[in-house]
Amino acid sequence: MALFFRKNVLLVITLSVFAGLLLAAAQGMERKDFLITLLRGLSVGSLTFLVASGFSLIFGLLDVLNLAHGTLFMIGAYLGWTVYVRPDTFVDLLTPLALTAAGFTAPALWNFIAAQLPPAARENRLLPWGLLLLAALLAFWVLPRYPIAAWDTENFSQAPGSYALMLDQGAPLPFPQVAFEKISSFLALSGLLSIGVLGALGLAFFQPPAQPVRPGWKDLVPIVFLLMLGLGVFAANDWLTAVLSGLNSNWLFLLSVLIATLSGFGLGALMESTLIRPLYSRPIYQLMLTLGMSAIGIELVRAVWGRPEFTMPKPALFSGSGAGCPAASFDAWWQNNCSIALVFEGRVRVYNEILIPLVGVFVLLAVWLLLQRTRLGMVIRAGVQDREMVEALGINVRRVFTLVFGLGVGLAALGGALAAPSMGLSNAMGESLLLNALIALAIGGLTSYPGAALGSALVGLIQQFMIKYGQIGIPIPFTDILFKPSAPIVPASTVLLMVIILLLLPNGLLGKKD
Amino acid sequence: MKTTLLQNRPAFLTALILIILPFVVGAFDGASPAAVWENGSGISKFVQGLAIEIFILTLYALSFDLIFGIAGLLSFGHSLFFAVGAYLTGILLKNFGLNLWQTLGWVLLAALTQAVLFGIVLPRVKGITFALVTLGIASVFHILVMSRELGEYTGADVGLQGVPVPDFISPANERLRFYFVALCILAAVYWLYRRFVDSPTGRVCIAIRENEGRAKMLGYNTFTFKFAALLLSSFTAALAGALHCLYQPIVSPNTASMGFTVTALLIVLLGGVGTLDGALVGALAYRLLDFGLRRYVGESASFINGAVYVAFVLFIPYGLVGTWRLKSLQIQQGWQRIARLFSSASR
Repeated sequence: MALFFRKNVLLVITLSVFAGLLLAAAQGMERKDFLITLLRGLSVGSLTFLVASGFSLIFGLLDVLNLAHGTLFMIGAYLGWTVYVRPDTFVDLLTPLALTAAGFTAPALWNFIAAQLPPAARENRLLPWGLLLLAALLAFWVLPRYPIAAWDTENFSQAPGSYALMLDQGAPLPFPQVAFEKISSFLALSGLLSIGVLGALGLAFFQPPAQPVRPGWKDLVPIVFLLMLGLGVFAANDWLTAVLSGLNSNWLFLLSVLIATLSGFGLGALMESTLIRPLYSRPIYQLMLTLGMSAIGIELVRAVWGRPEFTMPKPALFSGSGAGCPAASFDAWWQNNCSIALVFEGRVRVYNEILIPLVGVFVLLAVWLLLQRTRLGMVIRAGVQDREMVEALGINVRRVFTLVFGLGVGLAALGGALAAPSMGLSNAMGESLLLNALIALAIGGLTSYPGAALGSALVGLIQQFMIKYGQIGIPIPFTDILFKPSAPIVPASTVLLMVIILLLLPNGLLGKKD
Repeated sequence: MKTTLLQNRPAFLTALILIILPFVVGAFDGASPAAVWENGSGISKFVQGLAIEIFILTLYALSFDLIFGIAGLLSFGHSLFFAVGAYLTGILLKNFGLNLWQTLGWVLLAALTQAVLFGIVLPRVKGITFALVTLGIASVFHILVMSRELGEYTGADVGLQGVPVPDFISPANERLRFYFVALCILAAVYWLYRRFVDSPTGRVCIAIRENEGRAKMLGYNTFTFKFAALLLSSFTAALAGALHCLYQPIVSPNTASMGFTVTALLIVLLGGVGTLDGALVGALAYRLLDFGLRRYVGESASFINGAVYVAFVLFIPYGLVGTWRLKSLQIQQGWQRIARLFSSASR
């Protein structure tokens, strides 16, 4: 104990200073204000943590500073919104996505076919390039003609904001009807499938020639599954849309969060395996790549969902306001689904200030269990400590890299989907959160998982207390002056805190010493 | 003399082209050199303006290349250097009514101060933590600039406007003179940087970039060398900021944001890290790409911009200049092969 204390004097002092500040803050305001500010801080901290934890896992294991993480958070929010407000678009999109991706999921099959070619023909690079070009042309021809019921950002009555607003008012706008007009449905489906098959075949021809290995049935499971999914959704399109739009909004919300998280996972895995993987030997270039990806992502979101900000209605469980609200007890809340609850006589928004921190704590525990109690977690922890040693022990680190990148991006997307109903959706929501997460990680220790949690909580709490004191003012001792921190001081305070902590403890509060 | 000319042929050629550029462009437009000399409005004046912006960006990118590409320090707060120069110039000219030379003196002093500030941080943190701390310092400045309390001086989020630029260098009436002043400054700074990189000090900086531990083992006080690079970089960036303020007469708070540091990073990576020449080529490519895309594509320009950067990272990792240097032999051979093909065909 004494040894621990001597080794971590600065850490103990810093933490006690924070505890003292918190106590002082509690003295300075009423109990209900203190409680609400605390909950708000934890809410901001939870969202920050969802971004920061993924960021720190990726940085720790892969040494990639993923500056596109904020953008991926934003994409998660927009995806969640789409499933929640426009389930018809989501159902329409499933078929083309599944059919196009199907071709790429069976590399063993294409390698087998490619290996049948005589070696002389393999020398020729014309064939694979030709196949890729054909796939691209086909994509350009088929994809714009495939009918997808979507919103129209130019037209106000069909803008994303209008759909969200009308859904919130309880009178949802009717979804637009689309039909196969520019292309016959059979042609479209087979075209979509051929894009993936031609592209994957072209890529297979780039591989160096090898002995043909007959693909087993396990290699064909993904492609068959995706084919079934695509065709099945296509056949049951109207029925699925009706089921989803008729679904209870709580379940739909859960579904949208799940789908946003899963798509984030897929997006991250795809990013790692195609774009980041070639760059492990050139660290600075990953930085530029992720910056470029971030710019592309923001523009993509602007092109698809438009520039104006809009909202996402809260699920019914958190939006009641009738009799019996604000709820004073859990039972009262459960019966009336109030959006506001009374906690120690303070009005607390249930979704923002109770649900989000709860999810944050849940994710904290779940990922902690994953890291501490599973084999994958063991490999991740070992990889963070010494990547080369893990590789030398014969563990397929590459696969783990893809998984961890996917996991990190999935966490960010989960954060985005959760934040959408409370923050609203805007093109800039990712950047401020990424900056918050960076500060939190720098405070807590860049590669430390508990550090990410501690740093995020500190950042959230300090920001919210600063905002609160901006309203009521801080009495400066022995004078009558009330010091009111103005709005710009809020971000500046956390940044200053980061600089001070990094100068005192260059590895952050809980980071490992070299 | 002759050897100097021969060795630096590309540099002198570039300088020559840049000197005659306004007149050549004017001639295309039908304006005589005399009219260009008199600052007649037309395409030449517009091209001069674009070129001045590119020169300023080049100065800024050069200063980033020195600490990032040569000394190996990744700083995310580089925009601070530029923004301090720009804001200080504007405020001193506008609110304090100093003349240009006094202003430049103060800017140099501020450049020294900010280099010392980064120098205090430098030995304490390294690697990515240095990047984060510098980002923090720069964001504090950005927040200060944006805050309403100082709005009287900085113009808050609108930006600093209405800077009285001295008549003899006014970008509206005396743009050609401004162009040549900026060109001279750029040439002088480039020459200075070349000398710095080729000097023993610069060599040690490169050694530090490659392996700091080994440089320390050889007995060099690595801090001194890194600080020298930082100081030179800070002076250049502040000068670029001052020029920016004089040319635009507006200083937007964006110049203090992290986005502007990223601009420097992108320019340097486009041109080639650690090549110095890359700064000019990169700034040219960056500005023209940005300008052309905004003009002809409109709102989705940043999308294509981002795609271009990703393509660069994946396929042209050493930047334009770096790849050219690596491949110049192969390119020459290719030209020779084509020439041989033609000569054999004609025979």
